[in-house]
Amino acid sequence: MALITENTRKEVTEVVYNFFADECEVDIKDIHAGTNIINDIDGDSLMFLELIEIFKKKYNLDIELKTIGKYSVKHPVQTIGQLIDMQLLIIEHENKLLELEK
Amino acid sequence: MSQKKLAFIFPPFASDYPDDPFVNLTGFDDCFRKYLSRAAEFADPDLIQFEIRSNTFLNDELKTQYISYIQACSLVLWFRQKGVVPAYCSGYSMGIYAALFQAEVISFLDGLVLIRQAFKEIKKVINNQGFGMCTIIGLNLDDLEQLILKEKLNLKLAIQNSVCSYSISGTADDILKMTESSQKEGALNTRILNVSVPYHSVFLKDTVTGFTEFVNQMQFRSPKMPIVSLIDQEILLDEQALKNEAVRNLFTPLNWYETQLYLQELGVSRFVECGSGKGIVKNARFIEGDGVFFTANAYTALLDTK
Repeated sequence: MALITENTRKEVTEVVYNFFADECEVDIKDIHAGTNIINDIDGDSLMFLELIEIFKKKYNLDIELKTIGKYSVKHPVQTIGQLIDMQLLIIEHENKLLELEK
Repeated sequence: MSQKKLAFIFPPFASDYPDDPFVNLTGFDDCFRKYLSRAAEFADPDLIQFEIRSNTFLNDELKTQYISYIQACSLVLWFRQKGVVPAYCSGYSMGIYAALFQAEVISFLDGLVLIRQAFKEIKKVINNQGFGMCTIIGLNLDDLEQLILKEKLNLKLAIQNSVCSYSISGTADDILKMTESSQKEGALNTRILNVSVPYHSVFLKDTVTGFTEFVNQMQFRSPKMPIVSLIDQEILLDEQALKNEAVRNLFTPLNWYETQLYLQELGVSRFVECGSGKGIVKNARFIEGDGVFFTANAYTALLDTK
């Protein structure tokens, strides 16, 4: 279980903002925590998946995609802010993510 | 040491038109209108009414296949006029007919004939039974096979798009059940496709006799460039192999993931999705290697900067 510091949050936020600015071809200044990924910047679930892969590599995470999928069913992500929070939970709990439900 | 090469990939028929897909392509509309007009005269007079903003025929599978083929052939012509010719081409799903056109194996009108006949044979075989397809992202092959087995679903894996993205064919009821079960199992995304045909699966096996007979009486020419098979990643170099591919394409599972990897092994470093969508470009994020995938618009913008 990794410790999430302010630095981790800053790093994750930076990666997420840059990723969506690049993928969705929008100005990074137009992205904020409340930005709706699908409605506002034309994002999609494949982008979410790609971000997961980026963080898996970056933080050497041990987590199965379906674990994230099961968690997402109960905690759907719509905004950039929610996505960052979920990525932080994934980094913190990895394959034990579903234990948060218990 | 491999050389840098270009491949044209012809996508399956469109499911929507979110943006103007050919906005950077000056003169493309002339190519498109020319082919649209010929197709309307030859295959279906309604086609002439196609408008990307208002009259897309997306609820008509055959017309949509015609339109996607016409768009792809128009891109072939447009790129040819700019002197852009790929080293390889490949047709994803029903994009096979445009790949045959790109390689000058068939004429534009013969492609329309093949689409019409394949659709006729398919309709004969499925005989108004409810079929469909879905795409599931986030589960691996084992997960999907176990789900199908556990739930006793009448489904077959039709296309592998990446290690975690698959298209599945089967009865419409079971397709719906599969999407629900996959979500519970942890799929990150499921989507029921807007088709009534279980493409690339054994459900269409009975098209083989009629379609083989039809294809064999058509004249195929030797390809002017190698076409890579999505079925077994073979390079198709002669007429008979291409005829067999056209027939097998209807009822045999495809592997787009392996095909892309193989093209990269052959030295392909740039892929252009020759259609109106971005599905292949988006899917490419999950393919290993350094290959770069472009829409026709994006590739044209790149050419224009040189």
